[in-house]
Amino acid sequence: MQSLQQLQLLQNPTEAANSQSELEAPPKQVAQAMERLNQAARVIADIRLGADRVFEALFLTSHPRTSTTDTSLQLLLKEDASMRQHLHDLRSIGKKLEESGVLTESLRSRSNSWGLHMPLVCPDGAVVAYAWKRQLAGQAGASAVDRTRLALKAFTDQKRRFFPHIDDGVKMESRSKKHRASHSVLEHGGGEPFDCKTLPDIQSRLEKLVPNVKVSTYGRLSWLKRANSLPGSGSDDDPPEASKLVFQSSSKLRSGLEAEVADKVAVIELYVPSVFRAVVSLNPAGSVDPDSVAFFSPDEGGSYLHSRGFSAHHVYKHITEHASTVLQYFLGFGTGTALYSLLLWICSFESLFSKPCSKCGRLLAMDKKSALILPPLHRAYQELPLAANLDVCEAYHGGCSPDDS
Amino acid sequence: MPVKWVLYWQPNQGSTVSTQILNEAAQCAESINGVKEGRWKATLNYYKPMLRDQSNHPDLPRDFLGISLADQPSKYYFIIRSQRIVVEADASIQLIMEKLQSYKSKVSLYFDGFQYQLGDFRLRVGRVVPVHSESIRGIVMEVEYLPISSVEKARKVMEEFVEIWHEALSKRSLSGKFVNTELNFGEFGLGDHYTPQHTGVQYAIVMAHMIATVQPVVRG
Repeated sequence: MQSLQQLQLLQNPTEAANSQSELEAPPKQVAQAMERLNQAARVIADIRLGADRVFEALFLTSHPRTSTTDTSLQLLLKEDASMRQHLHDLRSIGKKLEESGVLTESLRSRSNSWGLHMPLVCPDGAVVAYAWKRQLAGQAGASAVDRTRLALKAFTDQKRRFFPHIDDGVKMESRSKKHRASHSVLEHGGGEPFDCKTLPDIQSRLEKLVPNVKVSTYGRLSWLKRANSLPGSGSDDDPPEASKLVFQSSSKLRSGLEAEVADKVAVIELYVPSVFRAVVSLNPAGSVDPDSVAFFSPDEGGSYLHSRGFSAHHVYKHITEHASTVLQYFLGFGTGTALYSLLLWICSFESLFSKPCSKCGRLLAMDKKSALILPPLHRAYQELPLAANLDVCEAYHGGCSPDDS
Repeated sequence: MPVKWVLYWQPNQGSTVSTQILNEAAQCAESINGVKEGRWKATLNYYKPMLRDQSNHPDLPRDFLGISLADQPSKYYFIIRSQRIVVEADASIQLIMEKLQSYKSKVSLYFDGFQYQLGDFRLRVGRVVPVHSESIRGIVMEVEYLPISSVEKARKVMEEFVEIWHEALSKRSLSGKFVNTELNFGEFGLGDHYTPQHTGVQYAIVMAHMIATVQPVVRG
């Protein structure tokens, strides 16, 4: 009930003051009314004291031994004057309060100007103008703390998710230094000369290392065509039909853009039949800088199949999230080897449905956070890209991973 | 189409099948964070040919089965297990058979029960009931892994899921267990990519096992 009143207060500020200060905001009116009520309370206290003094004076007059009638008369007159003054003050304050709509008879029956029902004395004896004000003040204080706490939690969660290597200051620094050194060795070629700065080189290297993974490159438009022509899960009807329609619509776009983007590779697709399809986008097109990656089921198809899209299945959704963290890690080295490392890491998921978790030994486990039964979605990435083969990429469940705090 | 395994309930020696097991299975699904999605049903018919001379033709197969699947409402599947044949037909074939009076259904069974979603898994548990009867002949369970459709690739995942299921169910100390049948889809001419025909074949084999092992109960 009190929150409803607060709402009404916010919505009907103008009804409050009918004579003056109509344009003042409710908080100011509340403050004024509080002030006046405090004044009224002081005046009432003064009146009480004054009444005591009057009684005292009367007592004195009835006991002529303690004082003369003169002094008591003086006393009485003085008190009378001050009492009248106090009562006059009280009356004027009362009038002001009535004008500002605080003290009205109608208030008791139905929510009027401010819709306030005000017990002036709270159960614990404190005199408060508006009972809800205490609640509001309390709430404001509490919610500020809560909001801060939630914001801090959200920030640390995100930091942990996307930049886990920042957390562990000392340990990661030494490891990243070692990697930086080894990455430059890679660039200049250790055993065999390998330049992972060009796409064809990367592609041929991957073909040798992971022959089961099909690596293909596309421009942005041609990827869109391909995504739409892939058979969607569960329906094998007429993929050629779908691709025909897409060709028709995109031919209009072709004329101007095609010439520009024809040679620029912007999307890399890694497809392991029956296991997964991963989409990596390069930004800018034609470079070797990956900017996003997403995993999908091999049976999925449609325009939502792109590097910032999400699969309809939980397992691929979770891997995609993990992949963004890993991508940030590889990009963090700044040595230009991010694409090769990323693609190599993606290929380690060839064993998604066969390699059990290195910690618990099982393939499936109940993930605590999402309450889902999932295979190991994490693959170790710190040893890449120097690995001779992908066996070093150990598999872990979300809850078993050593990276997880 | 996602890979599906069909399991059936095998009661312990001397015990019978009852709806209690169905309820226990439903609760078990919920205990591993399953979300109830609704009901499902399917029908199965055993056919025998209508011949002019009613003498026994020994070479005509006796296990000619027709099944409608919940996932494919517009299709009907025929299986002759002994000859390793599975065929997909339009659902109207039943009407045609009736009009032609070529084959008559000698046994009709209903499957019906509840469906659960457990992340990327879909579980269906249902009872097997003869039409025009209330007695339960058995209980079947379908487990589907939605992300992939390769029978081989999904094998390990399905095996482990069934293990997790057994573990969860064993806490309820029921007198029996769900059994998976070892299938060779290749014998039926089916490939690694899962199709409704694979489901049809699994049901045919499950029914054969069920008829051999389960005794009917008067009151489910």
